[in-house]
Amino acid sequence: MTDSAAEQTPTGSKAGPSRWLRLSEWWEGVQPRRLSLRVRILLMFALGALFLSGFLAAAAYSFARSSVVNQRDDAGIEQAYRNAQAAQNDLRLNDPSTQAAMDRLQSLGVATFAINYRGSWSASSAKYTNDAIPLSLQQRVITESTPARMITRIDGHPVLVVGIPLTVADGGYFEFVLLDDASSTLNSVRLSLLFAGFITTLAGALLGTLVANRAVRPLGDAAQAAKAIAGGRLDTRLEPSEDPDLRVLANAFNDMVAALEARVERDARFASDVSHELRSPLMTLAASVEVMNSRRDDLPERAQSALDLLVADVTRFQGLVEDLLEISRFDAGAIRLNIEELRVAEFVRHAVDVSSMPTTRVIVSERAERVVIQGDRRRLARVMANLIDNARVHGGGEATVTVGEPDGEGEPLAHIWIAVEDRGLGVPLEERALVFERFARGAVAGRRSSSDGAGLGLSLVDEHARIHGGRVWVEERVDGESGARFVLELAADEVNE
Amino acid sequence: MGTRILSVEDDERIRTAVKLALEDEGWTVDEAGSGEEAIELFHRAAPDVVLIDIMLPGIDGFELCRTLRRHSDVPIVMVTARNDTHDVVAGLEAGADDYLTKPFAPKELSARIRALLRRIRPTAPGHAKLTFGDLEIIPEEGKVVRGGTELHLTKTEFRLLCELAQNPGSVFSRESLLDKVWGYDYFGDGRLVDVHVRRLRTKVEADPANPRHVVTVRGLGYRLQS
Repeated sequence: MTDSAAEQTPTGSKAGPSRWLRLSEWWEGVQPRRLSLRVRILLMFALGALFLSGFLAAAAYSFARSSVVNQRDDAGIEQAYRNAQAAQNDLRLNDPSTQAAMDRLQSLGVATFAINYRGSWSASSAKYTNDAIPLSLQQRVITESTPARMITRIDGHPVLVVGIPLTVADGGYFEFVLLDDASSTLNSVRLSLLFAGFITTLAGALLGTLVANRAVRPLGDAAQAAKAIAGGRLDTRLEPSEDPDLRVLANAFNDMVAALEARVERDARFASDVSHELRSPLMTLAASVEVMNSRRDDLPERAQSALDLLVADVTRFQGLVEDLLEISRFDAGAIRLNIEELRVAEFVRHAVDVSSMPTTRVIVSERAERVVIQGDRRRLARVMANLIDNARVHGGGEATVTVGEPDGEGEPLAHIWIAVEDRGLGVPLEERALVFERFARGAVAGRRSSSDGAGLGLSLVDEHARIHGGRVWVEERVDGESGARFVLELAADEVNE
Repeated sequence: MGTRILSVEDDERIRTAVKLALEDEGWTVDEAGSGEEAIELFHRAAPDVVLIDIMLPGIDGFELCRTLRRHSDVPIVMVTARNDTHDVVAGLEAGADDYLTKPFAPKELSARIRALLRRIRPTAPGHAKLTFGDLEIIPEEGKVVRGGTELHLTKTEFRLLCELAQNPGSVFSRESLLDKVWGYDYFGDGRLVDVHVRRLRTKVEADPANPRHVVTVRGLGYRLQS
């Protein structure tokens, strides 16, 4: 508060810098945030054109003016000298009266003049008196006895005043030369210069727009490329530019993307390599455990318990490695779908049959029986298996699968919902997006069974749904009881039998 | 005479574990650690089924498969590292009858082997001879003749052709062929059918690029016609 008060104090030394400060603050505030680069370039061009045309117009005008006025000057001055000579002759003869001189001048046709003779003024008319003569001119002519001229305005009209000192006595002869017609010439010059300036500024703004568009285009390209890269197309590159300035940017951008691509590839390859390496020992484990398991009855009770743990965890380990491989394939963009037209009801029933809970109830709406989807049946079966596994592990071991159309009777069918409902604790609102993350370990996940899978199952469901152009989410059960409802939405078509 | 299986796998630990698991099924297992060893052993042991891991030192699995196919119609199961299109299709093109992806459960392997063995003794369709234009199928003898020349089909190719010939002119979906020929459920890999049809065409068609006998019905499946 005190600061701003001090700034506003108009003390000469302070007012300057503080105003400058405020101005620059204003510019800081305006420049980067509100004005885009495009607008700034446009403004720069327009202002440049304005300044330049203004400067040229001013120069042209002053040149035109001086040339018009000089013409007038020369004629006026010559005339004034002759008139002054005539007046002096009369003054000398009729000293000290000025009347004869004035009559003489009027008879010569000089209408606008004033004479200072021995300190007293006489003028030809009430309008052109000594009051109309600038004091500096009076001083030069009368006191310093130097001829001089000056342009002044009388009643708004430009007038050239020519002053010639008298040689007979102290005093001066002043003649007024009206410049009205010169002024109208200058007016039209000024008007056309203003018009030209306006046109130039407009042209500057137009040029600015063009240049701005040109200058901004590479930025647009870069933005588009960046968007493509963010979308996963890491092989996107900027076109190498002819312009050396832009080439630096394009090269730096491309180098960055190449480095990013290499890093992403390395990460993906690492995950893939790790899981590939894990498969060989896992293969041995799985086969050996199976051989042991077929002799389970020959083992002592404690060994049987240990074997059961081993069998269960080898199976789990196998699932984890398969999921990891699948995830790394997604990351590497190496997933190729084997798309077929599938009858959704038939597909879901088969998928449930081969899942970990084959007795799960499947409810298919009347309309859904006639619905087909485009999908990779083996991958979608994994999705169903994962959702049912999830229900088995976290959902109290009881699930219901419903296949139905989203609400909207009579509307053309565009999507189908495959929902898996369980009777577990449900998923709290704040964790509903998180459960689809890899290795999601929310409060609920922690609360859930300790023997559950790797936490990759649902993230794979999400990836698969997305690569099929669908989506998956979790909500509460429709009947309001405790439990989660996972809904897989896929694009679908209705077929007529 | 018991069933002999030749298992070709360079990882000794996996080989041993798989051998133990397969022996539990009552089969005799011969082991080979490389392609060269496998070729040598193949002629000596005359296996009923060959199990080949694609990643082998020296001669790789694809090459081994092609070599064996030149002399024999023995059923071959490929073990691939990935179920990527490339490996699976390349393995099937090389002549494999079926494939498994590592890590697989030994139970699954024995199920696949059983399905392949079942195919070696196809149930006779009851007709002595089926004729489709210049194509003659004699199911009883396991013979296919085109223009008087006998064609050499693998067991699986022959079985596939016989299935299509059961109901000439009608369309067989991939799923039904997977079920009947390979014993797969709804989730079998349709590429098995596609590649086998392709292989079959190179043998039974005069111009495999424009098939006259084994015809694709878009979106539905395949059909056999004269």
